Amino acid sequence: MSLNFTRVGAIAGRKFASLRRDKRMVGFIVIMPAIQILLFGIALGGTPTGLDVAVIDEGPAQLSTPVLAELNQSEPLVLHYDEASVESAREGVEQGSYWAVIHIRQDGTIELHLDNSNQQISQTIIIEVRDALTTVAEESGAQLPVEIAEPIYGDAAPAFIDFLAPGIMTMVCFMFSLILTSMAFVGERYDGTLDRVFAAGTRPVEVLLGHLLAFSTILVGQVTVVILIAVFGFDIPVNGSPLLLFAVGIFLGLAAMCMGLFVSSKAKSEFQAMQLNMPVMFPVMLLSGILWPVEALPTFIQPLSWALPSTWTAEAFRSIMVRGWGMSHSEVWIAFVFNLAFATFALLLAARSLKARE
Amino acid sequence: MGETEAAISVRELVRGYGTLRVLDGLEMTVAAGSIYGLLGPSGCGKTTLLKVVLGRLIPEAGEVSVLGDSPGEKGSPVPGSAVGYSPQEIALYEDLTIAESMLFHGRLHGMPVERIRERQAWLIEFLDLPESTRQVGKLSGGQKRRVSLAVALLHEPQLLLLDEPTVGVDPELRARLWEHLRTIAEGGVSVVVTTHYIDEASKADRVGMMRNGVLLAEDSPGAVMAAQQSDSLEEAFLSLCSRDTQEVTT
Repeated sequence: MSLNFTRVGAIAGRKFASLRRDKRMVGFIVIMPAIQILLFGIALGGTPTGLDVAVIDEGPAQLSTPVLAELNQSEPLVLHYDEASVESAREGVEQGSYWAVIHIRQDGTIELHLDNSNQQISQTIIIEVRDALTTVAEESGAQLPVEIAEPIYGDAAPAFIDFLAPGIMTMVCFMFSLILTSMAFVGERYDGTLDRVFAAGTRPVEVLLGHLLAFSTILVGQVTVVILIAVFGFDIPVNGSPLLLFAVGIFLGLAAMCMGLFVSSKAKSEFQAMQLNMPVMFPVMLLSGILWPVEALPTFIQPLSWALPSTWTAEAFRSIMVRGWGMSHSEVWIAFVFNLAFATFALLLAARSLKARE
Repeated sequence: MGETEAAISVRELVRGYGTLRVLDGLEMTVAAGSIYGLLGPSGCGKTTLLKVVLGRLIPEAGEVSVLGDSPGEKGSPVPGSAVGYSPQEIALYEDLTIAESMLFHGRLHGMPVERIRERQAWLIEFLDLPESTRQVGKLSGGQKRRVSLAVALLHEPQLLLLDEPTVGVDPELRARLWEHLRTIAEGGVSVVVTTHYIDEASKADRVGMMRNGVLLAEDSPGAVMAAQQSDSLEEAFLSLCSRDTQEVTT
């Protein structure tokens, strides 16, 4: 079972010539991941602003004045003082005019009446009020019995995007590599070109490796674009080795491309290939700890998460970028091993499915 | 003719797709260094037969020997560089240029680049192809067909399987092609040509008339016509067909 590398090279060269000629393809390869990662960065993790909140101030001036002064400076909240009573202010919430009523009572306690239909928004209001109270209390010399020391890893005031970016990078690298190869030779299987390639004595593994080789050149560009946008577009710090980050991205891309080749060997049309990609893409997006931590998933789902190369890669990305870790940490090197194992397994499945003899 | 001289020998071949039986106990012998014309309407199983000969399809029953071995088995020269195949569907990468197509297929067969360029120059001249920098997708149907043919001839195989090579090719060039096939057959190359220009096949050494997955007749064109008392192959084929239909219905 020896491989003929001249044939692998011939197939890679032919595919590469096609890719080079397909301008739309190149656009798709570079621009789509760029757009996707930009949209994710812009759309997710920001703090809501312009939240209308009614204030009913019945409290003692020495408390309510500094607290309201503090709240007035808050970026998310827009305070309104024109309601006469708690009842009319609550009515304003019912009508949809306000997200909340901040009621400072005579005894100095604060009561919040929330429109809790949007959790992110009510959480923001609660955090703003709590922060204002904490600041005022600290200024008067009081202090909570909890102190947060300088974090060991990560920022003292971490932005959500710092958590999100490694995950989004994982997702974008995976999805576009998958889509790229899943269409690879669907057409060829039905237009006779693959028959001709097999008539020359080519083995299915050689066809697969040839495609993998040609697409790898694109993968290099794709991973580079994704990392550059994350680092420069969103100012995400890379505390570890950028080269290591790049290498993990390449290995993930290989795993996804091999998966795509398997899809390509099964699909009867390009439309069907796209459909077959769906049941792969959704678990990757939702179960890999990309948008929400794996630890928050039901325990019976978690093993599935760890069967996805994206879960290990997101973990490795985060470890390299935020924690600055290297290959001495299992979180990093396992990603290499797992992606390689996954790629090999998917490639073998594809080779079994793409038959030279039927 | 002894078994050793046969380039292709097919015995009681059965092959279909799912429950559909396409080849139904087919027998065929192609002598080495001869031109064999495989005739029959579309859907009669010609392409399926060629794919079995190529080792692309595995027979369900029967025996197939190509260049002395079962195609697709370990050690068999087929599939491989011993065979040149020009599929009915043209089967070229439309985004490649003619030169790139030649380079690709030449390299698949392990040809040195200089040799590929030599053969390419000759084939472009012989098949009257446009310049090698032209993109295949932008050629006319007839030109594509000729590029497809050029690819099959490129590596000078011992056995040529040409599926409908003359569709859309002008008569002058068609005549030249047959002449070339005759020349290489004299040099020992075995050629199987499928065509539905039935009279064209009178230039073959032997014709097989195929219908519903079997050969109704297999002999030299002259012998087939004589047996059917016909003046042309076309007529002979018609007469064979009507006899076959009568046999089936009675």
